[in-house]
Amino acid sequence: MDRRDWTYEEDDHEEIGGRPSVHDPAHPGIGDPADPRLTLPAGRILGIVLIALAIAAVFNSEAMVRAGEGMQPGTTRDVVLSVAKPLDSVTGAVGLHLPREGFDLAFGQEDKTASGTELEEGSAAILERRVQREAKPAWRDPTPARPLDVFVTGDSEADLVGLRMNDLDTRGLLDIETLARNGTALTNPGFFNWELNAQQEMDARDPEAVVMLIGANDGFNIEIAGALYAPATAQWEEEFARRVAVVMEALGEDGKRPVYWVPPPTARDESFNEIYRSQNAAVERAVESVEGARYIDVFNTINGGEYTDQVRIDGQKVLGRQSDGIHFNREGAQVPAEMVLKAMARDFPALGSDASSP
Amino acid sequence: MTFPTIEFAAFFVVVLFLSWLLMPHPRAWRPFILVASYLFYGWIDWRWVLLLVASTLVNNFAAHLIGRSSDQLTRKRAVFAAVTFNLLLLGTFKYLGFFISSADDALNSIGLGSSLPLTTIVLPIGISFFTFQSISYVVDVYRGDAKPVSLGDFAILQAFFPHLVAGPIVRVNEFVPQLRTPRDPRAVLWGPAIFLIAGGLFKKTVVADELARRIVDPVFGDPGAHSGTEVLLAIYGFAAQIYCDFSGYTDMAIGIALLLGFRLPQNFDRPYLATSLRVFWHRWHMTLSRWLRDYLYVPLGGNRHGESKTYRNLMLTMLLGGLWHGAAFTFLIWGGIHGGALAVERWSRDRFDTARIPVWLGWLVTFHVVCLAWVFFRAPDIGVAFDVLGRLGASGPSPLVTPVLVLLTVGAIAVQAVPSDLWRRAEAWFVARPAVGQGIALGALLVIVDAAVGQQGVAPFIYFQF
Repeated sequence: MDRRDWTYEEDDHEEIGGRPSVHDPAHPGIGDPADPRLTLPAGRILGIVLIALAIAAVFNSEAMVRAGEGMQPGTTRDVVLSVAKPLDSVTGAVGLHLPREGFDLAFGQEDKTASGTELEEGSAAILERRVQREAKPAWRDPTPARPLDVFVTGDSEADLVGLRMNDLDTRGLLDIETLARNGTALTNPGFFNWELNAQQEMDARDPEAVVMLIGANDGFNIEIAGALYAPATAQWEEEFARRVAVVMEALGEDGKRPVYWVPPPTARDESFNEIYRSQNAAVERAVESVEGARYIDVFNTINGGEYTDQVRIDGQKVLGRQSDGIHFNREGAQVPAEMVLKAMARDFPALGSDASSP
Repeated sequence: MTFPTIEFAAFFVVVLFLSWLLMPHPRAWRPFILVASYLFYGWIDWRWVLLLVASTLVNNFAAHLIGRSSDQLTRKRAVFAAVTFNLLLLGTFKYLGFFISSADDALNSIGLGSSLPLTTIVLPIGISFFTFQSISYVVDVYRGDAKPVSLGDFAILQAFFPHLVAGPIVRVNEFVPQLRTPRDPRAVLWGPAIFLIAGGLFKKTVVADELARRIVDPVFGDPGAHSGTEVLLAIYGFAAQIYCDFSGYTDMAIGIALLLGFRLPQNFDRPYLATSLRVFWHRWHMTLSRWLRDYLYVPLGGNRHGESKTYRNLMLTMLLGGLWHGAAFTFLIWGGIHGGALAVERWSRDRFDTARIPVWLGWLVTFHVVCLAWVFFRAPDIGVAFDVLGRLGASGPSPLVTPVLVLLTVGAIAVQAVPSDLWRRAEAWFVARPAVGQGIALGALLVIVDAAVGQQGVAPFIYFQF
């Protein structure tokens, strides 16, 4: 490399402003005319691209199914799944998953899907249980010397709420770890199995309290005994309640720790709100059947259940939502964070005595 | 639609095939590529296509009015109207929410109270880039540097999907002449194209996203919980992340355009090898810095009206460049650091023999000034930026500092020092392999990249928000 690579080009007289060129970019070989050693006919290039994509599809078929499961309902999702699922059945049968699994292992990726879990196939009997609310659970009160281990998880909403909970913990009574699993939901365990993940995380972390923020991506049909049910129908709500209870149970481990469940807030798009209302009803029902589960009603509490971009914090009006009309922004996330901390203070009285719990 | 997705892979295979099939028939190719580009853009929100079409119609009308008129006053009014239209369009989407919020604060602070509704406005992806292209088009026509082009040509320039959402910012004289000459299907620049695409994909998915997830986001999210070593790696890591994220996107854009037979201007030229801020700004986001120079710095007077005005113009240009990223004090400080450092450099160069400064020292100082500015760019607010800087001396365990993250950070910077000739030879070697072998190698790369990305998926490109 010569010195010109590092130093000022003498023919540039202005302080700023590159001299980009379409004829001689820094990337070598794009001369005019093109270097013949670097060119191929378009037809051969198309062939190479098709071979590459075919190989990627064959060896990534399982990931393609997961990606399809994670897409919003619609034609694209249907097309991807209609191609990926049969392909995955064939490639799985002849052992072509193995190279990808090896790479997943090498990159430390977790196995987040499974079949036959309670989340997918369990019994609705879990909803028939009734927990005794009167008895006070034996959960340790935190001190600055021994703060409470709190695990904040869920979909993308978890990120900023976990962050703001940390900001509000001025006395250092909480040791908060946040892990958001973007785009995940309970209605598509083929994409991400929250029951399995909850078991893995609880085994690995063993927190003293869990905050779960999830639901904004749950606008999927649910399949029950071969029949599909649309969001917000009675059957969908029943099955959703069951799945919430299953995951709550996996997170709370029979009352070992409290689980603060935060469904999504109101959305700008009213069609989402219809689904969210149904979800909230399902979460309320599930809470009744799981020891240590708590429902944080951000939907009806914030702005009285009406969507606006603004929220009130300490009496001041602030812009609280992101442009997608669903997520809180950094400022707005303080509101659900405060609600969670207030609920936690009921279980952990030490949190209620000052700024840690507004 | 964004590049590293299943949707885009399917879209691109079809477009690549049909584009070369229709290339000998311009009357079929032109509407095809325009519709394909609008489909690409409207995939997220079809209303954005209407915005792009409106911008195209208004700016091309203005350019023709300017080009046709011999009356200087009419020309001046037309260019003024067109630039105002573009700035209002950009300002409405980027800054209206900020202005309402500021007005609300101001009214409240003087006790008047306010019932202004605070609102968030969805920023159409790529609006900055196509608005800047529009401004350069009408101003170039006004200056006589370009001639008005047909509505079809301008519409394709604006909408051409490889560069539409995050640049490079292309000028009419760079692109339209290529539209007028059918591309040669026998000699497509496959070597550079595939190295740019594969390299860009790797830089984004493996380097940028990994650094963001494992060190940058945790540290900037809660600096108080991290040691000085972790904070230092997060600062260097963000320098590597933003380079790999942004240059990765534009590398892919340039490579994809090459596969379609078109050449876009380069956007990054080994910026972290720069030994002065001046060189850095000749190499970083080159098409934006060129735009700022030609349509802001030079009209302000550039360096032609004395020393003090040069410093003022530098500072103003960089402050406005900062504000372009968003209405926040952090971006203003980012611009201020660059403007101030450029002014100090110029002042020193006018007085001392700076050529005697050792190359390594120039590099060291430049790189760290750039990193300091990145802290303000990345931090959500000024308080967090100072918290990050304040934690640099903090002791404590550093579990986030792993050999892999150090390697990714150092590698992202060091790879820029690889001699150009080595890349050229590697490309020539690859192109000479049998087609099946090349396909298998690229397929394997896609499998590895997808495994590295995992279930969390590819994070949004940083510059989509600007």
